[in-house]
Amino acid sequence: MTPSDTRTPLVELSGVGKHYGNVRALEGVSLEVHAGEITCVLGDNGAGKSTLIKIIAGLHRHDGGTLALDGEETRLSSPREALDRGIATVHQDLAVVPLMPVWRNFFLGSEPRRGTGPFKRMDIDLMRRTTRAELLRMGIDLRDVDQPIGTLSGGERQCVAIARAVYFGAKVLVLDEPTAALGVKQSGVVLRYVTAARDQGLGVVFITHNPHHAYLVGDRFVLLKRGTMAGNHTRDDITLDELTNQMAGGTELDALRHELRRTP
Amino acid sequence: MARISTWVGIALAGALTLSLAGCSSTGGKRAEDARAAAAAEGKAAVNTPRWTFAMITHAGDGDTFWDIVQSGAKQAAVKDNIRFLYSHDDEGQQQAQLVDAAVDKKVDGIIVTLAKPDAVKASLARAREAGIPVVTVNSGSAESKEFGALTHIGQDETVAGEAVGEELNERGREKALCVLHEQGNVGHEQRCDGVAKTFDGTLVRLHVNGTSMPDVQSAIEARLQSDPGLDAVVTLGAPYADTAVKAREGAGSDAEIDTFDLNAKVAAGLEDGSLGFAVDQQPYLQGYQAVDLLWLYRYNADVLGGGRPVLTGPQIVTGDDAAELREYTRRGTR
Amino acid sequence: MSATTSDTADERFLRLPSPLRRLLSRPELGSVVGAIAVFCCFALVADSFLRASSLGTVLYASSVIGIMAVPVALLMIGGEFDLSAGVLVTSSALVSSMFSYQATANVWVGVGVSLLVTLAVGAFNGIMLARTRLPSFIVTLGTFLMLTGMNLGFTKLISGTVSTKTVADMEGFTSARALFASTVTVGGMHIKVTVLWWLALVAVGSWILLRTRAGNWIFAVGGNEQAARAVGVPVTRTKTALYMGVALGAWICGQHLLFSYDVVQSGEGVGNELIYIIAAVIGGCLITGGHGSAAGSAVGALIFGMTSKGIVFAEWNPDWFKFFLGAMLLLATLLNTWVRRRAEASK
Repeated sequence: MTPSDTRTPLVELSGVGKHYGNVRALEGVSLEVHAGEITCVLGDNGAGKSTLIKIIAGLHRHDGGTLALDGEETRLSSPREALDRGIATVHQDLAVVPLMPVWRNFFLGSEPRRGTGPFKRMDIDLMRRTTRAELLRMGIDLRDVDQPIGTLSGGERQCVAIARAVYFGAKVLVLDEPTAALGVKQSGVVLRYVTAARDQGLGVVFITHNPHHAYLVGDRFVLLKRGTMAGNHTRDDITLDELTNQMAGGTELDALRHELRRTP
Repeated sequence: MARISTWVGIALAGALTLSLAGCSSTGGKRAEDARAAAAAEGKAAVNTPRWTFAMITHAGDGDTFWDIVQSGAKQAAVKDNIRFLYSHDDEGQQQAQLVDAAVDKKVDGIIVTLAKPDAVKASLARAREAGIPVVTVNSGSAESKEFGALTHIGQDETVAGEAVGEELNERGREKALCVLHEQGNVGHEQRCDGVAKTFDGTLVRLHVNGTSMPDVQSAIEARLQSDPGLDAVVTLGAPYADTAVKAREGAGSDAEIDTFDLNAKVAAGLEDGSLGFAVDQQPYLQGYQAVDLLWLYRYNADVLGGGRPVLTGPQIVTGDDAAELREYTRRGTR
Repeated sequence: MSATTSDTADERFLRLPSPLRRLLSRPELGSVVGAIAVFCCFALVADSFLRASSLGTVLYASSVIGIMAVPVALLMIGGEFDLSAGVLVTSSALVSSMFSYQATANVWVGVGVSLLVTLAVGAFNGIMLARTRLPSFIVTLGTFLMLTGMNLGFTKLISGTVSTKTVADMEGFTSARALFASTVTVGGMHIKVTVLWWLALVAVGSWILLRTRAGNWIFAVGGNEQAARAVGVPVTRTKTALYMGVALGAWICGQHLLFSYDVVQSGEGVGNELIYIIAAVIGGCLITGGHGSAAGSAVGALIFGMTSKGIVFAEWNPDWFKFFLGAMLLLATLLNTWVRRRAEASK
């Protein structure tokens, strides 16, 4: 799937900045998210990735630059508003309630109901069936959707969160370091779902500090370093090695290599 | 957050409620006012200086018995032109601290109860050194003189208990239940001990949670159900007598309910026969005399009792006497 | 491009039939076992325990705690505590009594005013919690102290004594008593109407928790408040509603108190809030929130009632009453935990 510059991006940040008092957390960051594409945001710890996420998710308001959704300039005032506009965020702590069963978690905040007046109740059958079906569509076969979501592995939980976002009509999926705490096999599982979501037509913002994972799935790459943009590339004009180099800070790594070399 | 309609709703509800005021045709404050209010109060009958007397008791929160003591004390205070201060704590150490506070305030007289005598001993010594006269009421007739009090007014809990035991004997009771509603209350233990001393039959004790009436009721009910041999229940506080009557109904027992202390419901119960007898120590008199005797001491260095306690009871109240006392209990002075 | 969960998980699940599996994972299971154990213990030790009239007494004692234990359990599932629950019962009774008396109004008016005032206190707790962001333990401790003082102070101020004046001779008393404090006789057993209120509350509480959207929110808010907020659950509204639920329970208990005993002692209720919490915890509610049930709290209240009255039936030494009570409750809780662990291990 080739990136197309002629369509309006689902989300476009232009020169966005954020200050916390005197601290400059972000400045001059620009990125685009198109439907059916994955934009990776890379950076080391402290680069400003979480601040960027929070702005897109509606948790914080940006101070400088513009945020445009479907070409329309906006300021998101709450996570609820972001959700209503189709931006689903899967946070690092996953926003799931560990003790609750999978089907309750899946529909949390958007429970379907039937009946009228004081007898309004949740449509539990629908919730169970839908949860099983949606997870199956994304490739997870859960025999028992009643098990507490805390009993699933980290990767599975990520996938449930992604499946939830896809089901509720998200247009943009923002993933905050989904593979950070996972092993190789689990990461593979998650990356597969990320591409499945992309194939469904969503735009994905994939935040990570692992350039290998990013390069496996990304169409665009934005590098952040200490709050500023250190690079903005498409897949065509960068290789994995260059990406890794830029992320790790090529010159700094050279200097480090020199320093750490054994003296004969 | 709150919409206009919510506030309008609340205002309407408030208006509606107020409009419903006065819609009961019986009872209530209107009836109380309509009854010849024998509210004494009045004005000072003397021209002596406005002295300050402090009363510090071991009452727990919300204890009805001490309400009556205070009524009596306040009445005497009005008559004798006294500024009356009242404080209480059921913990001995805290009560001692309250006595210390009164001494620091340099009051003109102190009234204490000696339920936990060792705790307040030192504070009373301080009062004596400061030249503040002390009168003891209700508990502690044995220690009163030793602690330097002028006199003791009241009736020992043990003596009251003994009177109850004797009355139970006279009524031919064989097995009685003593209901303790406050664990660790020395006065209550003394009352039950007193009963046990003179009662010829068997006395068993039951601890209940006095802060929960349903618990008290169900516990007494359970005990009556499990032990059909019980033919008398003795409660240690007037409010618990009514609860014991309910428990008796629920258990289907015919045990006699007797109690310490009086209140309006107890007087009514004595009259209609649901209660056997009550033992009264005239708390109003205790409070009244304490204040009045301090005034007499300050005014004329008079001391009552000749070194011995001045007794206000025990008085066994039965159905015959109850009719006379009914109005007084309603008023809160008996 | 499909992946399945590990086969071992499926295997484990397939060992047990589905309904049995669901039964074992219910939070109340451990407490039911505990209740049966306590029942057997006292049935053996006290001869009078098994009689119909005795069971009526035990049910009454349980119901008075149980009515409060249901909303307190729901609140605990939502992750919060209410230390003012005990004295709120007394406040509710005092407001009813004093308002009716002082305004010489029909007693039902007092009952209505009391409902509004009690609900307002519940809302106050919820709003204070949201505004101050302090632990609910602290916020409701403040409310508890204020209410205790107000109970005593207002009663003294308005009625002149520490207990209220009688309202038994006022209009509406008999009908109110029929609703809040009457007795039904069923084959030798005297069932107080509080037992019916209790059962109704358990039914309503369970339905709300398990079948409605609000119940989902309660579990979520107690299990992971951040997550709930992030997906759009109205956290403050949910918690405030839970506190108002506790207030409703307090109103029912308070009216029962008033119409049962007529005169209300203003110092009552202190200490009961912990008993409600104990009943909820024995019934399977996690102190940390997110797990529990209304039916479980009913079982917990039943255990408490059986224990406190069983000790009386068994005529154990009364001085040691509190010790026995604590020991039995601990044993019931340990049994509950053990059963729950076993149930979870088989999953």
